[in-house]
Amino acid sequence: MTSAAPAMPAWTRARPGWDPIAIAAIGLTTFIGVALLAALVALIAQAIPVVQYEGWRLITEADWFFRHERFGALAMIFGSFAVALIALALATPISLGAALLTSEFLPPSARLAVKSIIELLAGIPSVVYGLLGILILRDWIFTLLTPFDPISGDTLLTAGVLLAVMIIPTVMTLCDDALQSVPRRQRQAARGLGLNRSETILYVSLPQAWPGILAALLLGLGRAIGEMIAVFLVIGRMDNQAPSLAAIIAPAQTLTTKIGGAEAFIAMGNPLHWSAILSLGSMLLLMTAIAAGAAALLRHFTVGRSA
Amino acid sequence: MRKFIHWIIPISAALCGAIAVLLMVGIIGVLVQRGASALNWSFLSSGLQNAGAAGGILYQIVGTLILITTALAVAAPLSLAIALLHSVYLAPESRWKHALRESLLFLNAIPAVLIGILGLLVFVQYFDWGKSWLAGGILLGVMILPTLAVTLIEKITSIPNRYVDAARGLGLRTPQIVSSVILPQSVSALFTGSMLGLARAAGETAPILFAAAVFSGATLPDGIKNNPVLALPYHIFVLAQDTFNPAAQTNLWGSALILLAIVMAFSLAALPLRLRAHEEAHS
Repeated sequence: MTSAAPAMPAWTRARPGWDPIAIAAIGLTTFIGVALLAALVALIAQAIPVVQYEGWRLITEADWFFRHERFGALAMIFGSFAVALIALALATPISLGAALLTSEFLPPSARLAVKSIIELLAGIPSVVYGLLGILILRDWIFTLLTPFDPISGDTLLTAGVLLAVMIIPTVMTLCDDALQSVPRRQRQAARGLGLNRSETILYVSLPQAWPGILAALLLGLGRAIGEMIAVFLVIGRMDNQAPSLAAIIAPAQTLTTKIGGAEAFIAMGNPLHWSAILSLGSMLLLMTAIAAGAAALLRHFTVGRSA
Repeated sequence: MRKFIHWIIPISAALCGAIAVLLMVGIIGVLVQRGASALNWSFLSSGLQNAGAAGGILYQIVGTLILITTALAVAAPLSLAIALLHSVYLAPESRWKHALRESLLFLNAIPAVLIGILGLLVFVQYFDWGKSWLAGGILLGVMILPTLAVTLIEKITSIPNRYVDAARGLGLRTPQIVSSVILPQSVSALFTGSMLGLARAAGETAPILFAAAVFSGATLPDGIKNNPVLALPYHIFVLAQDTFNPAAQTNLWGSALILLAIVMAFSLAALPLRLRAHEEAHS
């Protein structure tokens, strides 16, 4: 994210023309836009029957028994928030600290090298993280939890820890961008006033960069809520785990693992069940849209301020 | 107090940096160490046997290549259209331009599993395709569309005004400027974006879960309807749920290492041009 808006290219001010390339560009963009919008509308529209059937029970009860046509999704909503918040709580200090290191202490060339490596690592497929989780992290967590007599190493906590590792590269690189967008002159002025490097960070860089940092955290949160594959492999997928503190170290289910499980195929045979699965999808869509929207607003705010 | 703050911040930042780097080095190290023992030529060149416990992953690799090539074929023209519309034809600071940009960010934020369920809804439920490689390619194409489009948009926006002014001065019309100035200047971005997109598409499991991939029983597709493919990430995903067989575990680590190698190869191919773009943007 570059903060300074690039100069307005002169040729965009050209008279509007209906040339063949313009028609093709508008046509293709409209096509994909309409197709995607139609798919999303179909998703939400088909989720409506279960909302009418269950009403508020859909989000206030933890009783999902599709054979009895009971669809209370509270356990999955709780699971999604729990894993995402655990992930964010663990990833935030490490990512922010690492971003401070690259942005405020490393010389530009070293910063670029570290950032490139971190961005490469952000590309490790989630199924690979899932594999590491299932073959390594699960046993560690089981050992760690032995005093609490766990059922297995598949818990909400395991999924949260795994997600934390997965979102560190993304959150770190976005925090670094946010810190970098604070104008250099501000830092120089602070140093000129006699603040040392750490005070400059505390009183100038962090306060100026906070909307960007918050946006980075929100994007990390969105990514954590939406991740399915890695979570699926380590969460144990136990239905109807009522929200409680103890549930953190028990197997559970999140919105994504429920949607991604084999139940989706079964659900296609029963319109109400299918509607219930799609309602989980709509909730997920809403949550990630809110996270992404808030992040976009915050970044807009940052650009406005530093420009 | 000042001294304390002076030291505590760099020390904790360095500590966090060290943790992040060690985590990442550890992950790659474990994968290489455990995966290397599974690798040999027959692992790469033969089909699966005994439900993943023996044999190789040839058709998983082939299937993944089919899927990502299709994804790129879908995403490249669409993102070129979006980038041209956004950066050339829409008026600067116009409402449509902002809307297009925000839509791309929104599309990028949609979780992969939702793309998968949309695939089930559209291709399996409405089109009645069964599982199909083409559905998987289209879904992966939708996933990588924002990456490709944003890479192109950033490049087109950074083309120096004087190039376009010169072309305009020579009497070229807008479509001619697009084809003789903007497109040639954007080739590098198209390459970078494609590599980033291929890297992402190769590793995604959730979009192909419902509408495209199967665990066994497919080789090369010979049609569209009911023509599923095997795919490397899906293979790992399914096999990982059955980890008690030690022979399957060895194959699992080997498959993960190959998948990582494919993804990293594409990401590395995109790196030099990205670094150059970064330097240009900050010089």
